[in-house]
Amino acid sequence: MLRFLSFFFILFALASCAKDSSGLSPGQSTGLGGSLARFTIVGNFLYTVDNTTLHSFDISDPAHPAQRHSIDVGQGVETIFPLNGLLFLGTQSGMHIFQLLPDGTPKFLSRYDHIISCDPVVANAQYAYVTLRVSGCRQAVAGAADLLEIIDIANIQQPAIVASYDLESPYGLGLDGQTLFVCLGAAGLKVFNASDPQNLQQVAYLSDINAVDVIPIDGLLLVVGPDSIQQYDYTDLGNIKKVSEIAIGA
Amino acid sequence: MLLFALALAQQGCVWEKVDIPEQVAGLAPIYFEGDWKAIASEPPRPIERLYKLYYKDGYIFAGESQQGIHIIDNSDPARPVKRGFIRIIGNSDIAIRGNVLYANNLTDLVALDISAIDSVRLLSRVENAFPSLSGSDVPDDYVGFFECPDPNMGVVVGWSEQILKEPQCWR
Repeated sequence: MLRFLSFFFILFALASCAKDSSGLSPGQSTGLGGSLARFTIVGNFLYTVDNTTLHSFDISDPAHPAQRHSIDVGQGVETIFPLNGLLFLGTQSGMHIFQLLPDGTPKFLSRYDHIISCDPVVANAQYAYVTLRVSGCRQAVAGAADLLEIIDIANIQQPAIVASYDLESPYGLGLDGQTLFVCLGAAGLKVFNASDPQNLQQVAYLSDINAVDVIPIDGLLLVVGPDSIQQYDYTDLGNIKKVSEIAIGA
Repeated sequence: MLLFALALAQQGCVWEKVDIPEQVAGLAPIYFEGDWKAIASEPPRPIERLYKLYYKDGYIFAGESQQGIHIIDNSDPARPVKRGFIRIIGNSDIAIRGNVLYANNLTDLVALDISAIDSVRLLSRVENAFPSLSGSDVPDDYVGFFECPDPNMGVVVGWSEQILKEPQCWR
């Protein structure tokens, strides 16, 4: 029951996020990170990735995290994304999927390999969205390209690519329902209707910002880049409005 | 002489051509002198180099690379207000559940009580939870661009992820 409850909270946090602004809620709710995150909390565990390793920490006693697992994943682990009892790891050679066993142990399930490049991953129950970037990716090998790949994960044992799109220098990405936000660094931010993976529809393009990662929060989009933190109201996708900006540096 | 020049040219061909990118994710040295384990709540300060955001309950937690976390009160998204700063040397990522913030403090994992957001409190520390982030040299297993260490900046205690502008070092 406890496990179910904490899982529910995670889902709740993912789906709607707390709009309460009167202070931090003291319960078990977790916050939201971007797609470039290397820390994530699922149930009573904190999972982190560094360059080569997936770590887990038992936080059932919240004040005293206890290190549990350190799993060697291989070279170039960049990001971690949790969904429905799974962990999606974005690495330079592909996407790794781990299943979380009832005791919190991550168990390797499957992987989708792509050409060596730089990439984070986000997912919903049906599809995973992976950006591959060669621009400014020292590790990228010859033949790699700037791409957004959509991978069918309905059969979690056998992830399979369903579509691939050329995008200029894609960095972080975010998903809210069928709306997909993709950061393009200095080239801005593109917003897609992703309901048909074979036919991604661009619904908006914010070209005048430097966007590295996004957090969509139920109509409010946080965008971070090297120059600023920007916030946009995307409740009307046909009319995305800037809400505020916090300058960085200078 | 001609032979010598030819030999040089051939030598040159051995070097891999590298295009320095304008903007790229990579590692930057963490400079620090003093006690890097000292966690402290501090007044708001300018945001200088940002990499990651975390959002919870109307607050934005904005990571100042290698230095700590800016706390921004975002209860009115049209008017975000900097509320304070948590000094966590070597920090590169965080996650929060309830009132407990988990962060890396260089190579350690720390748990902080943030129920009083202006005076956070260290609850516990897992030492050397992330050994690969330590050391004065770029981590052995790292391949990519990094910011060249500047000896005038002090002692390098570790490395953290950054968005780098035209980095001059790589491997």
